[in-house]
Formats: sequence, structure tokens, C-alpha cells
Amino acid sequence: MTADMKLDLTPETANNGVNLEALKDEKITLEVEDLNLFYGEKQALHNINLQIPEKKVTAFIGPSGCGKSTLLRCFNRMNDLVDIARVEGAIKLNGNNIYGPDVNVADLRRNVGMVFQKPNPFPKSIYENVAYGLRLQGINKRSVLDEVVEWALKGAALWDEVKDRLDDNALGMSGGQQQRLVIARSIAVQPEVLLLDEPASALDPISTLKIEELIHDLKDQYTIVIVTHNMQQAARVSDYTAFMYMGDMVEFDKTDTIFTNPSKKKTEDYITGRYG
Amino acid sequence: MSELSNDYEAVKDRVRALLDKQTEGGHHTLRRIKDMVAKHSIAIGGVSVIVAVVMIFFYLLYVVFPIFRSAEITQQQVYSNVAQAPQLWGMEEYGEIAYRLDDAGQLVFYRADSGAVISEEALPLTADEQVSSVAYANREEAIVAVALNSGRVLLPKLTFSISYPNDQRTITPSIEYPFGEEGILLGEAAIVHIAAAKNEEYLSLVAVDENANLAFQRFELQESFLTEGLELEQLTEQAIESDFSVDYLMHDPTGQWVYLVGKDGSLQSYWLEDDELQPNERLSLVAQGVSVTDAKLLLGGISILVGDSQGNIAQWFPVRDDTNTYRLTRIRNFAFSESAIVNITPEIRRKGFYAIDAEKNLGIFYATSHREVLQESLPELTDASEIVINPRGNRMLVTAGSQIEVWSVENEHPDLSWSALWSKVWYESYPEPQYTYQSSASTTDFEAKFSLVPLSFGTLKAAFYAMLFAMPLAICGAIFTAYFMAPKMRSSVKPAIEIMEALPTVILGFLAGLWLAPVMEENLPGVFMILILMPLAIIAFGLTWHFLPSRITALIPEGWQAALLVPVIILIAWFCFAISYPVEKLMFDGNMRVWLESIGITYDQRNSMVVGIAMGFAVIPTIFSIAEDAIFSVPKHLSNGSLALGASPWQTLVRVVLPTASPGIFSAVMIGLGRAVGETMIVLMATGNTPIMEANIFEGMRTLSANIAVEMPESEVGSSHYRVLFLAGFVLFIFTFIFNTVAENVRHRLRRKYGSL
Repeated sequence: MTADMKLDLTPETANNGVNLEALKDEKITLEVEDLNLFYGEKQALHNINLQIPEKKVTAFIGPSGCGKSTLLRCFNRMNDLVDIARVEGAIKLNGNNIYGPDVNVADLRRNVGMVFQKPNPFPKSIYENVAYGLRLQGINKRSVLDEVVEWALKGAALWDEVKDRLDDNALGMSGGQQQRLVIARSIAVQPEVLLLDEPASALDPISTLKIEELIHDLKDQYTIVIVTHNMQQAARVSDYTAFMYMGDMVEFDKTDTIFTNPSKKKTEDYITGRYG
Repeated sequence: MSELSNDYEAVKDRVRALLDKQTEGGHHTLRRIKDMVAKHSIAIGGVSVIVAVVMIFFYLLYVVFPIFRSAEITQQQVYSNVAQAPQLWGMEEYGEIAYRLDDAGQLVFYRADSGAVISEEALPLTADEQVSSVAYANREEAIVAVALNSGRVLLPKLTFSISYPNDQRTITPSIEYPFGEEGILLGEAAIVHIAAAKNEEYLSLVAVDENANLAFQRFELQESFLTEGLELEQLTEQAIESDFSVDYLMHDPTGQWVYLVGKDGSLQSYWLEDDELQPNERLSLVAQGVSVTDAKLLLGGISILVGDSQGNIAQWFPVRDDTNTYRLTRIRNFAFSESAIVNITPEIRRKGFYAIDAEKNLGIFYATSHREVLQESLPELTDASEIVINPRGNRMLVTAGSQIEVWSVENEHPDLSWSALWSKVWYESYPEPQYTYQSSASTTDFEAKFSLVPLSFGTLKAAFYAMLFAMPLAICGAIFTAYFMAPKMRSSVKPAIEIMEALPTVILGFLAGLWLAPVMEENLPGVFMILILMPLAIIAFGLTWHFLPSRITALIPEGWQAALLVPVIILIAWFCFAISYPVEKLMFDGNMRVWLESIGITYDQRNSMVVGIAMGFAVIPTIFSIAEDAIFSVPKHLSNGSLALGASPWQTLVRVVLPTASPGIFSAVMIGLGRAVGETMIVLMATGNTPIMEANIFEGMRTLSANIAVEMPESEVGSSHYRVLFLAGFVLFIFTFIFNTVAENVRHRLRRKYGSL
């Protein structure tokens, strides 16, 4: 074993790898300011500062347990559901702190949609799954729902496959279809931001490819944040990439830059597959 | 590197050798044996459970089945009939000895199975006297009223004493005269028809003489101090002139009624009032052109059986009408045959009867169950055939021309039929057909009422009120505990409720019957105020809490708010009981129970409300525990998915969690219902066990299970009553079977619909 194979496995303390300059031409949707997150006594996120550009795909990469999913779940306050989680700092959505005292969490979540790792359609029909978010808001008019369901399913590239069986139970679909259905369900309520938490990790390669194409199509309309384990996926779909390690934001830059010329050795080690 | 790979190869070889050794060393065989033993013992366990249930099912059926079997008769002997048409013909208890009385007053005892004469006794008749009519004054005591053509009535008593000389059971017949040998003089004219009734206190005699006049005498029985015998003190001597042509004369055992029936179908009844016979009503028993061919009183003397020339046997008894007078009413009809009825012979200990028609058919019937248990053609019968049955009802003698035929009768349960168990039955002395359950009474001529409808109704009623109380509490509790409560609080609340299940139901029943029922009765307005105020107060408290400044609400950690309700509940309960009496004074004239009864609502102390609450407590842990598990095990990713779409926790609960958990909640409810239906001790102790058919929450009920528990110790093994109790058990079995099957089907359907659980 040669000396240069030694890995730097110490926590990163400085945020100097975050190159917010790269965003100077972008409109910023989400701003993370000095975010710390604790699970009980244990700190899971350390002083994160980050900006997410509008209508671009930002990917979070990093080894397991680095906090990328935790950070993602801060954007729609899903961490609130974990009893012992405590958040310090601020996340601003279009300039307003989503952790402010007057924020309605349900409204926030409608605005910041989320797709989980495991496809989780409700045990209802395909139609009702997509219409669910609208019905929550009290929209029950059939003509409106019909229109939105068709729009959302087309948006999620699922319409042609399911248009003849909208009343079938969603649980009868394949995993890839279920995941696209969940995406359709999310975009049906017209969110600004779409959070994708390893959306393709439970899927086969063909389904994965379809999801990636879908992400590519959706970024014209939504600000997308995707967490992924798969470096190639991040390289393929994202415009910007953030590399996290042990709760720290190690490096953030344009995806091209990260994958061709990372400024940190840890990043390079990770993307070249030396650990992860 | 090569060193490492050498090591690697070495380890690989070593492990492989070890594994081979294990295989050869019989480890696999042992493993296979363990697998096999496990597989088969589990299979045996499962199969034996099914076998056990099936066996219980078949045992119940086996005990219940004889109810629906018809009667059977077998001919045993035939011997020649020495005396044609005796005045009296009968058999003692066991059917071993028969007796006949001829016109000359000669009483012959003979063996029923061979005709061999045992002994002969002569009644004390004078030379020119002849027996003209005979009737039993009391069938059980075998006291006979023997009317003579001189107007005199003798009252001999036939006794059959059992002794065991040389260890041989011997029945010795003899004759006694408890009221003296000289008898009673009813009049000067020859008696044509006699009827008599002797009971514990009175003796009454009715006779129709050759001039068609009625003679009635009534006596009070008094014990003589000197002789320790009975003395008669005459109360009434009445002569009624009548133009009625009497063919059948009947007098009921209580001495209240006298019926005169003519062949043309006209009936005249008399009713005893102030020790005098008063005419009651006159009516026609049959349609124009039909004639009465026999008329007899059924056991107990309430019903008259009227056989007519068209083969019908009608049962009539007096029913009290709106003006409080008794009207003889035709209750039911047995369409026996196409030809005339020749003879009707009532059974001695049951409300059954035998009949013969002109086409030589024998029929055995039962009044209450409206059932024909046997119809058989006996070709040797004649138009003069008569039947005698022993009191136990297992032997029958039939005259067939010059022969007497001896038959054994197997007729165990004629009193039960589908209609007797499940339809309205018009019982004797009842104003209308009813569902009634009353299995026994103090008298022997009692008509047993075996309707299972009130018991099934009671079972469902108890279960209904229990579920009414338990279901909302258990399900809402389960929802809150599984979905909103802090995990730490849940971990102590859930076991606490589940431990309630371990509480013996006898203790719950005991508390309900002896503590709750009186407390509730005394504080009735308070109890009602709790039922109304408690939910309102809890909702009001929730609302208040919701609008309190977050400074205060933040003091209580998320999911612990339910604990705040404990003092609220205690306070409300105390408050309701505290103002119970003032409210009662103010609104219900000081006594709510009396007030309820004044507006026509009956109030029993041990009522359905008490049962509902007590049994509700027994059922709550079952429902709660299963429903809570179902709700709690709804996958988190589903509720997260809903929340992430902007749903509030409540929307998530109603739209995603509850539908997904619905199969589990449904089976929880059905299992609770099954338990409430089968529950015994609580209903037994907390209700009055009155088998009534009232949905009123303030009245009690009797359930199938409680009925079995109450009556099984007092029922004679193999009797109709015993089999009815088993039938009740069988019905209960069917009830739970139906509930479980429906539950399982619905649960499967829900599960298919909301697949992921």
C-alpha cells in the first residue's frame, strides 16, 4: 500500500469548500444559514451554510450517515416528526425563515414537496393518489381534479401507462411506476421546490433511467434538490452538487467542477470511489 | 500478497473440511429430524384444534338431535279382549297393571302385557244398582268418580303399592274409599254423565241425569281429627234445569269450569262464582253440517280438544277479552285426517294426545308445539277402538275388535318443534300468541314455554349495549394512543388497559350487580349528566387548551396533553354526582325512577345500562389492544407521505391511517362483539335474568349463556329442558360462528382493498 492511498477521515471544520460564487448568476430559492441539527445530545449537522438555486437540480452526495437526508428533511420540516430532533439556525424560502414562529407547516410542505426513497403510494386508486393533495386543500370538483390528475401524470411521464386504469389500486403498479406516481402526486399540488430523497435507489436500472429523465424534464419548472448515493446519477442529473461528510458541508460547486476538479481531497477520494 | 492468499486457501480448506465433517457426522440428519418433528407437531396441534371444535359441534348436535325425531311405536303383545267396552279402563304408572270396571261394578286388575287377572274387587253396589258413568276425579291420585243409575256416586281410590318380597319388585293393586264406602247422593234420577274434580282443598261433582238436568255438588276437604282421614263439608248443592242434550261432560281439575258439549257441536260452559255454577257462554264448536265425534280436556283442564267428523282436532281454551270475561277461543287446529275422528286420548303428564280416525290411523300430537309426532296406520282398529296410556307415556293399550294390542311408545320430546322454539306460540291462559321462555313451574300440569327468541334477543341486546359503551371508548382511545400519544406515555397506558383484560369477569359482574346497580339507581340523574357532560367537557377542555397562549401550552410536552384530562374527568364525575340529588329534586319530583315510571318507562335496578357498562369494561381491553396495534402498525412512510403533501395530522389520520388500519379495527370490533355475545358471568350477576323481549335500556334481559348457567343444574338429564339448554348452547355456537365468519370475510375484503398491512 502506498502513502497516497491513505484517506483523510477526519471531520471537516472549515466551510471554505463552499463556493457560493458559482451561484452568482442564479436566483436563489432556499438559503441555509448557520444550520445546526441535534438528535438529542448528538449533533447531526454542523453549521451548514448553503444556497439552492431556482429551477436547477442540486444534488447532495456523501457517504452513508453524512447527514444529507437529514439536511434535505430540514427543507420541509419533516424532522419535526422526530421527537428528539432540535434545529438551530435558519432556512429561508424566498427570504422567509421556514422555522419562524408563524409558519404553517402544512402550507410549507405543500410548497416544498418530497419524494421518499421507498415508493409510498397510498392504498387507494391511482387517481385518488394524485388527487389526494388537492382534496386535502378542499378541492373536490371533479372537473378540476380530472384536469390536474391528467396534467400531473403527464408531467411525471406516467399518463400513457396508466390512463386506462386510473381506478386501479396504486399498490398494483411496479416500483418504478409507483415512484413516478409519487412524483406526480407531489407536483399535483404545484410546489416550488421538489425534494427527492434517493428516489431511484430501490429501483431497477430502466426505472432509474426513467426517473432521471423525468428529473431532467421537471427542472424547468421546479427547484429540485436530490439526495443520491450514486455519483454517476448526481453527475448526470444535477447542475450543482454538494458533498457532505459527517454532518459537514465539505464542498459545494457546479457539478462539472466537483466531478472534474474538486477543491478538497476528501471530495476527490469520494467521487473516485475510494470510500463511500 | 502470496502469503496472504496461502493463508486464505488454508482457511478455506479447513472450513470446508469442517463443514463436510458436520454433514457426515449426522448433523444434517438431526436437523432434518428436528424440522420433521416441528412440522408434524405443529400440524397435529392445528388439526386437533379443528377436530376439537368439530367434536364440540357434533356433540351439541348429538344431544340436540332427538328433539326433532318423531315418535315410534312397537307392538309387543296381542291378547284377547275379555270385557268389551268397560266403563273404566286404565293403567298404573309403569304400565304393568291395567284395570277395567264393568257395568256391574266389578273392578278387575290384570297384567297389561298378558291379560292375566291379578285380582278382582267388587264395588259396594246394591242389587239393583248399575254403573252408568265413570270419570277420574284426580288422575294422579287415581281417585275415580263412579256414577250409578241410582243417582249415587262412589269415590274409590285405586292404589298400587310396590313391595320387594324376596327381592322381587311386586306391585299390589288394591282399592280404598277415602270418602267412605257409601258415596254421595247426587239425585234420584239415574246419572248419564259424570265429571269430577278433586284437588288439595275441594271436591266437586257434576252430573247429567237421564232428564238432562245438571246436578252440582261441591265440598271442602277437611282433615278429621279423630280418624286422620278426610271429611267432606258440603259447600254447594245445585240443580240446574237444562234443555241441553249433553254428549260430553267435562269438569276441569281446579273445579272452576264445567263444559257441556253436544254432538251437534254446541257448547255450554259454566263458571264457578261464589261456589255456584253460573252459565258463561254458549257457542258452536264446529261449522254447519259437521258433528263433534269426541271432546276431551287436555292435561290441566284448561284446553278442550274437539274432534269432529271431518278429521280435524281443534284446541280451544278460554281467553280473557277486553271486557274481562272469558271467551272460549279456537287456538289451533290439527288436520289429522279426511275421515271422522273416532277417539281422542289425552296424555296424563303432558299436553299431548293420541287420536284415532275412522280410517284406522293412529296419530300422536302435542298441543303447545302444534306437532304431529306420529301417524301410523293400524289396520286392526275398529270404530269402537279405545286407547289407554300409562302416566309415564311409554306404553299404550289399544282395543282392536276382540283383541287388545300392547304397544311400547317412544315419544321423548313431542313438546319441541321449530315453531315452539322460534315462533310466537299461543300458550294456555295467555291473551295472545307470544314469545315466552319459562322452562319450569311448581305445578306438574304446567305448560313449558321454550321459545329461544327472548334469549337470543337478550343476548344481542346485552351485546349491543356493551358495544355501544365500549366501541367509541376503545376505538377513540386506540386512535389517540397509537397516533397522538407520546411514546413514553403510550408505553404505560397500553399495558395498563391490557391488564384490565385479565380481570375475572365474575368480579366485574359482582361489582356491577352489587355496587354499580344500586349506585346508579340512587344517582340516576348524575349518571345521565355524566353521559352528557363528560364528552362535552372533554371537548371544551380541548378547545380551551388549543386557544391558550403557547407560553402555557409549551409547558406540557407534545403527546402528554391527555394526562391533563385525568383531573377534568374526576372533577366532572364528582360534580355530576354532587348535583344529582338537587337536579332530581328540581326536575324529576325528587325521584327519577318514579318519574320514569310515571311516563311509562319501566326501571329495573339491574338493567341493560349496568350490563352495558360492566360488559363494556370487559370488552374494552380486547378492542383497544387489537385496534391500537392495527393503527400503530400503519407504516410510517405512508403517514409521512401524506404529511409531506401538506396534510394536517388529522387529515393524515382520517384519510390514510384509519383506512389502512380498518381491517384491524374491524376485527377488533368483531372479536369484542364475539366476546360480548358469549359473556356469561357479567350478565348473570348484573341483570335480573328475566327473559323479556324489551329493547328498553332500563330493563334487564336473559342471555343464552346466562340461561344455560342458571338452569343447567336443575334440569333433568335427557329431558326436553336439558336438550333445549344444549340447543341454546348450539345457537350460541352458531352466533359466534356467524360473527366470526362475517368478520373474517369483511376483514379479508378490507385487506385486499387497503393492501399494505
